[in-house]
Amino acid sequence: MINRQETPATSIITHLPFIVPKKGQLGNGVPVYLVEGGTEDIVRVELLFLAGSYHQHKPLVTYSAANLLKSGTKGKTSREISEMLDFYGVYLQIDAQKDIVSVSVYVLKKYLEKVLAMVQEIVIGPSYPQSELDILLKNQKNQHIVNNNKVAYLARLHFGEQLFGSQHPYGYRLRKIDFDKISRDDLLAFHKQWIHPGNLNIIASGKLPENITSMLEKFFGNSNWARPAQEPPEPVYLAATSENKKLLIHKNEALQAAIRMGKRTINRSHPDHQRLMIANALLGGFFGSRLMKNIRQDKGFTYGINSALVSLVRDGYFFVGTQVGAEVCQAAIDQIYQEIRDLRTKPASAEELMTLKNYLSGSFLRSFDGPFAQADRFKEILVFGITPEYFDNFLVELKNTTPESVMDTAGQYLHEDSLIEVVAGKR
Amino acid sequence: MVRFEKQMLGNGLRVIVHRDTSTPIAAVNVLYDVGARDEDPSRTGFAHLFEHLMFEGSLNIPDFDTRLQDAGGENNAFTTNDITNYYDTLPAQNLETAFWLESDRMLGLAFSEQKLEVQKNVVVEEFRQSYLNQPYGDVWMLLRPLTYQVHPYMWPTIGKDISHIREASLADVKHFFGRFYHPANAILSVSGNVEPDQVFRMAEKWFGDIPAGEPYLRNLPVEPAQTAQRRLRVEREVPFDQLFLAFHTSKRKDDTFYATDLLSDVLSNGSSSRLVQNLMKEKRMFSEVNAYITGSMDKGLFVVTGKLHEETSMEAAEQAFFDELRVLQNELVGDRELQKIKNKAEASHIFSESNVMAKAMNLAYYELLGDAGLLNQQTTFYFEQTPDALQEIALSLFAPERASVLQYHSVKINKSV
Repeated sequence: MINRQETPATSIITHLPFIVPKKGQLGNGVPVYLVEGGTEDIVRVELLFLAGSYHQHKPLVTYSAANLLKSGTKGKTSREISEMLDFYGVYLQIDAQKDIVSVSVYVLKKYLEKVLAMVQEIVIGPSYPQSELDILLKNQKNQHIVNNNKVAYLARLHFGEQLFGSQHPYGYRLRKIDFDKISRDDLLAFHKQWIHPGNLNIIASGKLPENITSMLEKFFGNSNWARPAQEPPEPVYLAATSENKKLLIHKNEALQAAIRMGKRTINRSHPDHQRLMIANALLGGFFGSRLMKNIRQDKGFTYGINSALVSLVRDGYFFVGTQVGAEVCQAAIDQIYQEIRDLRTKPASAEELMTLKNYLSGSFLRSFDGPFAQADRFKEILVFGITPEYFDNFLVELKNTTPESVMDTAGQYLHEDSLIEVVAGKR
Repeated sequence: MVRFEKQMLGNGLRVIVHRDTSTPIAAVNVLYDVGARDEDPSRTGFAHLFEHLMFEGSLNIPDFDTRLQDAGGENNAFTTNDITNYYDTLPAQNLETAFWLESDRMLGLAFSEQKLEVQKNVVVEEFRQSYLNQPYGDVWMLLRPLTYQVHPYMWPTIGKDISHIREASLADVKHFFGRFYHPANAILSVSGNVEPDQVFRMAEKWFGDIPAGEPYLRNLPVEPAQTAQRRLRVEREVPFDQLFLAFHTSKRKDDTFYATDLLSDVLSNGSSSRLVQNLMKEKRMFSEVNAYITGSMDKGLFVVTGKLHEETSMEAAEQAFFDELRVLQNELVGDRELQKIKNKAEASHIFSESNVMAKAMNLAYYELLGDAGLLNQQTTFYFEQTPDALQEIALSLFAPERASVLQYHSVKINKSV
């Protein structure tokens, strides 16, 4: 008979399977990183431009300029481009974020060269047809209007504004009217200033063909792809967190209230950041976290709750987010404050800390599984200019974590009196 | 190509193993052949509520999640109208912990009245968050009873009515477990950096002594063929009108599945697809369009839907959808267009094979369909389809009298945001 009471023996992770990408450089100076691996004949090529909505002069310009890359060039219509990409089964992902614009293709290795030729054409020479811009803005405006009826979206938008101020690109809260103010010229200007080789990094991952470097050189190393004569200056904004710590966005018919609480804090480039990530994980970073145990598994107030640290290149913040029944909204908020207070005052038990460490090391291992995942993790440090030792260091930090170090870190960075609170719904 | 080995234990549990040495991870999937379709019409939402309870304590282990986290693992689960599926990933060297945990909850549950009460609340909040407090969130609560009058697909997995969850008792839950949660009604699959022989030994050790249980013989009412169009008009506080057309299709196991799936791809898979190009870009009638099949075990649905621009009338929208469907009936899909959607099917199949969890999940699912090996034949089945086969399906499906039409109208709402 087996003893079902007894836990099978386990071992913890001591070795990280991260392979530092092979670095190269194209003729025009563009850095290239190669992450080789995987079992299937698939490749991802990501063009990562280090400019995002932080650099735009008007809301939605970065988003539109990035998303309409695929919607027409001098020689091809939007339809021709999508026919071609669909024919080769390409998954094209365009991501316009606060600090980056990223264009990635996931493609079967056998079609890579044909597809890269198309990527070159759309990234270097978009024509931004007026009709395509009109369609995009109209559809996105409708989407925005629909989203404004979701309490979670409302809470997220207002939280950003409370945190950074309405003048700061990280905190700007999108309005319906913004969709009517964008012109083709805005997109062309953004493209000229920011989507050029001087801002570009290329990360190729998966089962790479032998001639990957020469292929990338052919399409993206060309000296005809001009940089702006003069690099535009980096914009400077000052974050201004709202003096008023509590904000309620009324939505009276709502059955649930969305809660978002948090504050600006250190980002990934700060030496304490990994320590703070570990403390945050204990609070709300996984299913076994204190917030989840208390507010979902013990009280049944919500379907889910989490907390996270967000690293932006020029700033960073911490937040707790959840949706709860309107009738228990205040009770849930009180519990969240209590858990944050406890994080800096009540030591974790040996068992709780062991579970946290084991879970985080396993989750860390999973986050490096496969070439695409490795490329994603590498991107995190590339954007912040951090060296790969960062990853090994995390395991060291984790090993050295004690109940006291968690309380100290929480006390230093996450004091409950310093939080902004936004509620959308009825309370 | 996903190579695998398969064995059946004495109690009827099917075990499938795929070895992938490129990863340090192991993925474990346990599929139970029970979904919302197997529920009593007066006790709906049980399969899903039950999924929550599977984490609340088993015979020998009070806390599933913590023990898995202790082994560096993570898990989740989902419930559909057909199946309930549980999955874990963890460092491969700790695989046995997942076997210990999964076997104990197959052996028996042991949770308190209080834990049941809490999970009922959690599910009620899930109901509110996903179905009631979202614009358009109740669409499937309307579409299901419109399209199914007899078959239990008439209710969504969350349940017909929130009161069914609120009224669930410990006795009801225990009865449900006894009926559906036993080895012969489950499939265990493992993929990752594992040795198949060792996995089979481990399966025998942990699952081998679980009693076989009474076999469940599914005998569900058959949805009769629809002979007259059904229409439902609702008004909701949402910003834009949305239109849904739904038609009954075949079962997942029928040969016609592949042509039907490709037909929905012709309409809306990718930005070069017909609905996107014709109705969003050229005619600018919709801000979103979609066509898809539910792919369910029993007779499924082919759904065509779109969110209307303010200046588009419901009538014009419906006309435009029927016109597109008529083109599929009257004209053969071109060779290049068909090749395009086949290529897309091939690519997405290969992409899914790069993920160790997806491989375990797919192997279990295809085993439920009859043979895990079907996974490796999917691309071939899609490539065998011809323009004639697609046209034949279009002719058999899209008769106006077989349509269910849901008009979801927008009323009085503040759009000044």
